[in-house]
Amino acid sequence: MTSFVRVVDLWKKYSADGEAETCALCGANLTIETGEIVALFGKSGSGKTTLLNLMAGIDRPTQGRVEVEGRDLHALSERERTRWRRRELGFVFQFFNLLPTLTAFENVFLSLELAGRPERRPVFEALEAVGLESLAGRYPHELSGGEQQRVAVARAVVKRPRLILADEPTGNLDSQTGERILDLLASQCRLSGAAMVVASHASSPERFADRVLRIQDGAIVR
Amino acid sequence: MKTVGRAFLRYLLRRPGLTALQTLGIAFGVAAAVGIALSARAAFGSFSAAVEFLRGRATHSLIRPAGAMGEEGLADLVGDPAVEALSPVLERMVALEDGSPVRVVGFDPLLDRELRPAFPRLAAGQEGGLESSLAFLLEPGMILADAAFVEKLGKRPGDSISTVRGELRLAGVFPNPTGEPLFLMDIGQAQSFFGLPGKVDRVDLILNDGPGFLSRRGTGFRLETREDRRATLGQMVRAFRLNLEVLSLLALFVGIFLIYNTAMFSVISRKRDAGILRSLGATRFELTAAFLVETLLLGMAGGALGGVLGFGLSRFLTGEVGGAISKLYFFLRPAAPSWSVWIPALGAALGGTAGVLGSLWPLREMSRFDPAAALSGRTADRQAARGVRRLAAAGSLLVVGSLLSFGLFSGSLPAGIAGAFGFLIGSSLLVGLAEVMAYPFLKRLLGRLAGLPGKVAAGNIHWNLSRTAVAVAAFMVALSMSVGLGTMIGSFRHSVARWLDAQISGDLYISSMDSAAVPAWLYEDLLRLPGVADVDPYRSVPVSYRGTTVFASGVDAAVLQRRASFRFRRGGAKNWDRVREGEAIVSESFARRFEVQEGEFVVLDGVRGPEKLRVAGVFFDYTSEHGVVMMDRSRYLGLWSDPEIDSLGIFIDPNEPRRAEVEAEVVRRARAAGLPALARDDLHANALRVFDATFSVTRPMRSIALVVAFFGVAGALLTLFLERRKEFGIFRALGFGTLQVSAMTVLEGLAMGLLSFGLSIGVGTGMAAILLRVINLRSFHWTVFFHLSAGPYVVALATALLAAAGASLYPVLKAWRTYPQLQIREE
Repeated sequence: MTSFVRVVDLWKKYSADGEAETCALCGANLTIETGEIVALFGKSGSGKTTLLNLMAGIDRPTQGRVEVEGRDLHALSERERTRWRRRELGFVFQFFNLLPTLTAFENVFLSLELAGRPERRPVFEALEAVGLESLAGRYPHELSGGEQQRVAVARAVVKRPRLILADEPTGNLDSQTGERILDLLASQCRLSGAAMVVASHASSPERFADRVLRIQDGAIVR
Repeated sequence: MKTVGRAFLRYLLRRPGLTALQTLGIAFGVAAAVGIALSARAAFGSFSAAVEFLRGRATHSLIRPAGAMGEEGLADLVGDPAVEALSPVLERMVALEDGSPVRVVGFDPLLDRELRPAFPRLAAGQEGGLESSLAFLLEPGMILADAAFVEKLGKRPGDSISTVRGELRLAGVFPNPTGEPLFLMDIGQAQSFFGLPGKVDRVDLILNDGPGFLSRRGTGFRLETREDRRATLGQMVRAFRLNLEVLSLLALFVGIFLIYNTAMFSVISRKRDAGILRSLGATRFELTAAFLVETLLLGMAGGALGGVLGFGLSRFLTGEVGGAISKLYFFLRPAAPSWSVWIPALGAALGGTAGVLGSLWPLREMSRFDPAAALSGRTADRQAARGVRRLAAAGSLLVVGSLLSFGLFSGSLPAGIAGAFGFLIGSSLLVGLAEVMAYPFLKRLLGRLAGLPGKVAAGNIHWNLSRTAVAVAAFMVALSMSVGLGTMIGSFRHSVARWLDAQISGDLYISSMDSAAVPAWLYEDLLRLPGVADVDPYRSVPVSYRGTTVFASGVDAAVLQRRASFRFRRGGAKNWDRVREGEAIVSESFARRFEVQEGEFVVLDGVRGPEKLRVAGVFFDYTSEHGVVMMDRSRYLGLWSDPEIDSLGIFIDPNEPRRAEVEAEVVRRARAAGLPALARDDLHANALRVFDATFSVTRPMRSIALVVAFFGVAGALLTLFLERRKEFGIFRALGFGTLQVSAMTVLEGLAMGLLSFGLSIGVGTGMAAILLRVINLRSFHWTVFFHLSAGPYVVALATALLAAAGASLYPVLKAWRTYPQLQIREE
């Protein structure tokens, strides 16, 4: 049976003008099954973000493949990759990355609009699920860090994606708020049956994960 | 994608100060273009309307190749089978007491019925009926005047209007669709008033067979259609109009830089947002479209405001443009343009187009950037530092290509203008490299001036190249144009002053302030006056040469050989020997325009048919860009039998002991003839005043370009400040005071101003050389000698420092108002 996502011998090298090549990802291999939650631990600079960006199709590998249901993501046209992100992928970032000119509601609504389902009710439901229905009209700078990350979670789950990529979702939060965010993310994934990869330099996501992996110097080590 | 668009558009509201600066910058750029376009349209529309109105239903006009014609031949015309109607016209200028010129049209109310039915009706339909109509025909100085002008003068029918030639009396008023001041007079009274008994300037005709009519006229006449007239006038001002339009584009060009500047800032500051949107599934097209909508809206809003400002500007510029055309080419007093809703629409279209043009490259950047890099926060400025060499190489190629194009397409004005813009754009591409090279110097200079904040300021400019280089380039372009135009005008003025000294060397000059002639008896009289050594009777008339208008001048060659020091391209005063024998000298503009060399022949239509004149020499001259053929008066009279004299140059005997008395006597006799006499210095001063007035239209344009650039630098500084608020917060947390943070911002502004000025010294001087050696030469066909003076550079330096300091005020204000802790926090 085909895994939901397969990462096969994935490499990403960077080179600045006149400087030696740096290997951000050096032959990573990984499989993720439908509905599975994978925790990916690694130090800063170990290649976590690069891997997630490649899995999201917003960066191009130097070598190797990312297969989604058997299809090579990077063999798809840009249009197809964009469609995949719109419909199937939710992204949560360390620095929240909400659009500063949109309200909490609009930030979440944007995700649905891009997915081709501009409906208001799911937005309110998602905000209610993260406990922010009363702050829907606020702009990001009017929210605390934890509140911003909860909006980001609502934005990621509102379109019911099949894969959520969370890049250090607790890295910018205190431990208590971080726990709540992870709890929220995991419960939303369980509810919708979405798979999730949570990258972190700390071990806090461990208890929510079905599987725990380590990444070191650009390679995944068990 | 409404939400994507909304996310971008809200930046306009979120940063109102920046939006206001950008909008105003675009508005001023568009205002300059709209202001000039409306003024030019009013001016050129006015002369078309004047041609239509004054020619009435005439299909043709019969004119002499040069000068007025006698009315004795009119009887022959009446019997010609091709003539359905005819009317003689005397059309001259008269100056009111305040010096403002008014067109006077002398017409025959009886003959004019068919051609201009309105004129005789006007003459007959005044208050007072027949008695008043008879007074119009029979009483000297009776005029009909256009209603708007009369109202402006505060006069009523029956009142007198004073002119330099005497009193006129207002018989009635009429509505004048041309918008320019116009007096109508009975032709007989006009002949008396101007001292031209029996003379007419043209005969307006309705012909059913033009060629047949002309074949029966023999030589010495020219038939001109209404279209010919319009084309001739249009052709005369073609180069002037083109230069005016190019000038108007200057501010818009700087405006496009500003938009590029703005759009590039937006792209850079939105990269993170764009990265987020891309990771959420927005396409490149959606992002680019949202950004384009934002730029278009900003451009159109600024453009619409610019349209309104441009309309206000045109109220002032129309008079300036009309004045310049009147002084250089033909009489024109255009009415200011009237308001239309299309004006802001035109502005919005211009602003929108400029917006799209200015944001083409930023749009490309927006569509091509790497979302992963944007999300990781890798900045473009490290890459920008590497890119400056590529840009500088492209800029150098463009500069060299533009300079080469001047040689390759010599003679083509559009190619020259394109080359000039290529030189400017190429130079602006070199700005990034210049910034990199100037960094160590700036760091030392600012470090010495303000210590650590100075060093940080220098670093901020250097490490934000993609933002600062564009702002410096825009400012440099505006300053270079100021230096270039200033040096070009200064050089031109210097050349004209030298030319006046060499050629206009008489002690006194007598000429009317209008288009009336100097009586021949005065010439004879002054020739006999003891103490007067020489008198040069000067006459200049427009004539047709190879289908275009040039000027033919009659002078006393012997007098000028003795008294003046004409500068010839080849040979010297000896050239006059051959002029005295019947040859001609031609101006440099004539020689260049028609590619005529010394020793070749020019053929002019005289009253007895075409006559060949050998070119004895080519002289430097600035009286007409269309070309001057100068000959001895005897040759001139032989060609055209036109005895009129425009002015007299009086040369007092250098050995005359009663010099002052002789001069006073000349002045007295001139006044007795109703003519003013001017001393040489006064005439030179008047000529230079006219020169200055013709360039007055460039002043507001140069100022506007600087204002636009000012908004560019202010916008750049504010954007840098907004983007680095967090950094400022850190500086303050480390112990920098608000004063030091402010000093940093002011120093950044001043350094950018200084850098722009430093670059404008080279680029501006290059532009001056291009304006003189390429644009001026190709537009006006005359050599202007390069004359370097400190004035334009001092003005540019003062402008750069003041504008840069002024531009940093708003960011400084923001720095004072913003609480440091808030600046550290991420948005």
